[in-house]
Amino acid sequence: MPAGHGLRSRTRDSFSRAFRKKGPTHLSTYLRIFKIGDYVDVKVNGSIHKGMPHKFYHGRTGRVWNVTKRAVGVEVNKQVGNRIIRKRIHVRVEHVQASRCHEEIKERIKRNDKLKAEAKAQGKIISTKRQPAGPKPGFMVEGALLETVTPIPYDVVNDLKGGY
Amino acid sequence: MVFVKAQKSKAYFKRYQVKFKRRRQGKTDYRARIRMINQDKNKYNTPKFRFVVRFTNKDIIAQICSASIAGDHVLASAYAHELPGYGLEVGLTNYAAAYCTGLLLGRRVLKKLELDEEYEGNVEATGEDYSVEPADSRRPFRALLDVGLLKTTTGNRVFGALKGALDAGVDIPHSEKRFAGFSKDNKQLDAEVHRKYIYGGHVAAYMNSLLEDEPEKYQTHFSEYIKRGIEADNIEEMYKKVHAAIRANPVQKKVEKPAPKEHKRFNLKKLTYEERKAKLIERLNALNAAAGNDDDVEDEEDDE
Repeated sequence: MPAGHGLRSRTRDSFSRAFRKKGPTHLSTYLRIFKIGDYVDVKVNGSIHKGMPHKFYHGRTGRVWNVTKRAVGVEVNKQVGNRIIRKRIHVRVEHVQASRCHEEIKERIKRNDKLKAEAKAQGKIISTKRQPAGPKPGFMVEGALLETVTPIPYDVVNDLKGGY
Repeated sequence: MVFVKAQKSKAYFKRYQVKFKRRRQGKTDYRARIRMINQDKNKYNTPKFRFVVRFTNKDIIAQICSASIAGDHVLASAYAHELPGYGLEVGLTNYAAAYCTGLLLGRRVLKKLELDEEYEGNVEATGEDYSVEPADSRRPFRALLDVGLLKTTTGNRVFGALKGALDAGVDIPHSEKRFAGFSKDNKQLDAEVHRKYIYGGHVAAYMNSLLEDEPEKYQTHFSEYIKRGIEADNIEEMYKKVHAAIRANPVQKKVEKPAPKEHKRFNLKKLTYEERKAKLIERLNALNAAAGNDDDVEDEEDDE
């Protein structure tokens, strides 16, 4: 009999719970809140059978576009043929984790806003743009021992010792 | 046969998954807790309050809690051991005391939230089913009953505490099915019987029956009552006074504890690298010394 292509086919490992983390899910999963615009990772919790996303979305990251009683609506990019579609799915909160992909940007925004406010107070103009790492500066080489290497003149006799 | 193969091998322990700590301690029912704590996601940070009632052998603990990731936050609490301050000194874990504790907690929370003027609740405890009517300005304080691991049989003391909180003016969704005095045959709550329980009528009846049948047992069983001159007829009055005292001043007395001089340690302090090395050297020296002694003993034996 052939293998079949059901909804949860080929999910034996990806939907299974981690080693020694089976059984009831811890309460913080249910206590986290999600706001529209937050970035979330979709990671299926195999022990909660309701509100499971399709296996394609396992491991995808998207933005929250809707918040309902027990689930969040996540907008995920999916490549279909020659284009990428923004797909809107609803997933129960047990299968969703807050993503850290946006964390660095949010921190930078906070920092930059502070710097800009300070500069404005002082009347200075600053650039908060990130600069790529440039070429490394020049430096003197320390503790170098100089070894002069010269070529030795070609010696026919020694070279032909092997045979000819 | 003495030799038995070891049941729990190293592999067993490596693969063993422990249950949650509070489940191992047998204190929390996580299935119920998940369902109680779960707040609608579209209500974001709105807290969901639980009216928690727990009974120990000598005390009743009633708390209004809300859950958070760092740990549950207690909004207000009331204990049966506070009731002596309101005039109730004996029978601190019976149905009537549970009613008093629930009443105390309810009034305390309403006072804290400044809702106590608006929501008087049911001042005269009649035993009838009473639910708070929403007033014009602010909606009543809502909490959900959390019984823990109790068996919710009809007439359980936890429902006495529930009735106390309801009569205080707290909005707790409930049904009268489990109050003392609900008869399964009629499918109705007998308010008279429930009122008896709230005012300790069942205790008074037992006191009377013991007085007639077994006066010695009465002396031993109700010795604390007798010491304070409480008789079967006084009990209802006593509870009426306690209810009035609770409604008059439900505020919790803050006990000022002096900060301890020394910070008590409950676990061993972690040793530094040098301390651990020093300990190891000590141990090796001790072992060598002991080995040296053994060698001496062996030499002696050889000599002999």
